[in-house]
Amino acid sequence: MFRYTVKRLIQGVITVWFIATATFIAMHSVPGDPLSGERLTNEEIRANLEARYGLDRPLFEQYLIYMGNMTRGDFGISFTQQNRRVNDIIREHFPVSATLGILAVVFAALGGILWGALTALFRNRLPDVVIMFLVILGISVPSFVVAGLSQLGLTSLNALFGVSILPVAGWGTLLHMIVPSLVLGLGTMAFLTRLMRSSMLEIINADFVRTARSKGLPPTRIFLKHQLRNAILPVITVLGPAIAAITTGGFVVELVFAIPGLGRYFVQAVQQLDYTVIMGTTVFYGAFLVFMVILVDLVYGFIDPRVRLE
Amino acid sequence: MSERTVRDGGATPRSNLRRDASRDPRHSGDGAIAPQRHDDPALLAVDDLHVEFDTYGGVVKAVRGVSFSVRAGKTLAIVGESGCGKSVTVQSIMGLIPMPPGRITSGTAMLDGIDVIQQKVVEGEDIRGSRIGMIFQDPMSSMNPTMTVGDQIAETLEVHRGYTRSQAAARAVELLGMTHIPEPAERAKQYPFAFSGGMLQRAIIAMAIACEPDILIADEPTTALDVTIQAQILDLLDELQATTGMAIILITHNLGVVARLADDVAVMYAGQIVEKGSSEELFHQCAHPYTLGLRAAMPGNDPTREQGLQAIEGTPPDMFDPPRGCSYFARCPHAMRLCEANLPERFEVTPHHYSSCWLQHPASPQEVPGLYRGAAA
Ligand SMILES: Nc1ncnc2c1ncn2[C@@H]1O[C@H](COP(=O)(O)OP(=O)(O)OP(=O)(O)O)[C@@H](O)[C@H]1O
Ligand code: SF4
Ligand SMILES: [Mg+2]
Repeated sequence: MFRYTVKRLIQGVITVWFIATATFIAMHSVPGDPLSGERLTNEEIRANLEARYGLDRPLFEQYLIYMGNMTRGDFGISFTQQNRRVNDIIREHFPVSATLGILAVVFAALGGILWGALTALFRNRLPDVVIMFLVILGISVPSFVVAGLSQLGLTSLNALFGVSILPVAGWGTLLHMIVPSLVLGLGTMAFLTRLMRSSMLEIINADFVRTARSKGLPPTRIFLKHQLRNAILPVITVLGPAIAAITTGGFVVELVFAIPGLGRYFVQAVQQLDYTVIMGTTVFYGAFLVFMVILVDLVYGFIDPRVRLE
Repeated sequence: MSERTVRDGGATPRSNLRRDASRDPRHSGDGAIAPQRHDDPALLAVDDLHVEFDTYGGVVKAVRGVSFSVRAGKTLAIVGESGCGKSVTVQSIMGLIPMPPGRITSGTAMLDGIDVIQQKVVEGEDIRGSRIGMIFQDPMSSMNPTMTVGDQIAETLEVHRGYTRSQAAARAVELLGMTHIPEPAERAKQYPFAFSGGMLQRAIIAMAIACEPDILIADEPTTALDVTIQAQILDLLDELQATTGMAIILITHNLGVVARLADDVAVMYAGQIVEKGSSEELFHQCAHPYTLGLRAAMPGNDPTREQGLQAIEGTPPDMFDPPRGCSYFARCPHAMRLCEANLPERFEVTPHHYSSCWLQHPASPQEVPGLYRGAAA
């Protein structure tokens, strides 16, 4: 298990390095640079700025400098936001995105497991049919549509009662977080529901469940210890990618609900070719996701003893 | 009625030697058949069991009027070809028939005055796992892959006997030892995938007998195992029966296993019991053409048989629309015109030995070689 963890971590570091390199190359192959947005009438000023940011050096040298700084945990200074360090931008805004993301993941996982188990237990009966219809909707409607519609819904709800029951946008209190995280987790929850349902259907009549019944165990114990615990395994394996989907989906939801998360800075930076912010946020997100996936795999190994052995 | 000794959990966990092994009437004689004493009252009496399944092709009548009884401390074997309803019969007793599509349309299974088909919980305790244990064909898929073997055994004791976790865990190790699993303490901490098939079947047996049930149902317990292991598992069942005094319902389609372990035998065909009697009677005074056919198809050294191996020709009847008369009619080499449309009565060959075949009718003209004609005939 220890060797496995170390191996996975090394793989993770290589993956992050690859992400950083690919981003660097892609970024520099886009025409223009961070300075081309400014009105630089004077060639001399431009040359000065280029020298200051190191843009006059050969590309490979820039790459080496950049990677060197990054291994020391320094992402540099933003081109477009004067004097703001990328590290500070991340430190300030990532917690907002992370809170939103974690709430969404928890909501998606719990919802997916619950609804999936429920639909399997009521297979082909009314609860199953209704929930699976909603699941298809949840999978096929894009999140910006759901986000817009839910804002519309909130506005009319608040208008109906004459008081603001739930805020329509913004950030700050727990009330602000509820609707955006529900919206953000919805697609993933629908996907997990479908996965959990089929996994549960396979388990419901498994031989070992029959054994559990033959032991005269109470139904709740059979459900929790024998059915759920085994049916959950496939759901956990996709939780890593699900976290990725939710985190990236967060950009749109942050925009619609005017949430001051990191996603907004990322989108802005791409538009303005703010090299350091692009690199910083991409590498940071990349590393975050890679290590979430590793973490999920380790948790999986903890739950499924067959994986733990290798 | 069996004495239900020590049911009060923790006090004397080693009470498994509660009954004397007054057994083995079957190897007593010298080849000649001593009249069987079947006067022991039935521990479990199944009466007129009917089970159906709804399928896309129609209603499968899987079990059609099965009756038998199990004597305390004795082994009843249920034999018959694949699909004849053996598993469905015992699963009905254990409440394991999936409903839907299954349906128990009638029948009772009386255990100590209680119909366990209708009532699974007696005085707050599920009879399954406590009074009737069950083991299955494929050990590898019959255990929960995400729980240690020890926990799965302990679980039964916690639920039925109110053992604490540590009491139950300690008893689980003892039980593994009783089934001759080496290093039981280490084994208890392992997960099923670390066990071989034979070892796992031992562990499952340990789990099924954890609460010292009166009856152990074994549904083809050795079919998935290789031959040497099969013999060991059968020996183990025999040994455990001797030490605990439990009755066993053993499902098999191997007559060799029957000869070795069974006191009583019920032969099933197409959802019905066609012949029933003691093991000796079925081997030496076989009174139904189907049993005769099974015996002829049995590999091994049956001294009463002269010719080589003979498979029974044809296939069992369609269970969507079972025959009106004798269900063996289409394959029976001795079938008579009467058999096609008339369900054979249950003829008493000797006391406690029945055969459902018109050949046992006193007016039957046929003499079939090898077939025993009962007193009635
Ligand atoms: N869940 C089910 N749905 C539909 N039909 C079923 C179901 N379970 C059993 N049957 C039918 O019941 C009949 C008897 O099955 P059963 O499993 O009792 O046979 P068996 O005697 O145990 O055979 P085997 O030796 O192969 O285990 C079969 O014809 C089968 O098709
Ligand atoms: S009743 Fe007739 S068909 Fe059936 S087994 Fe007897 S002889 Fe054969
Ligand atoms: Mg079977």
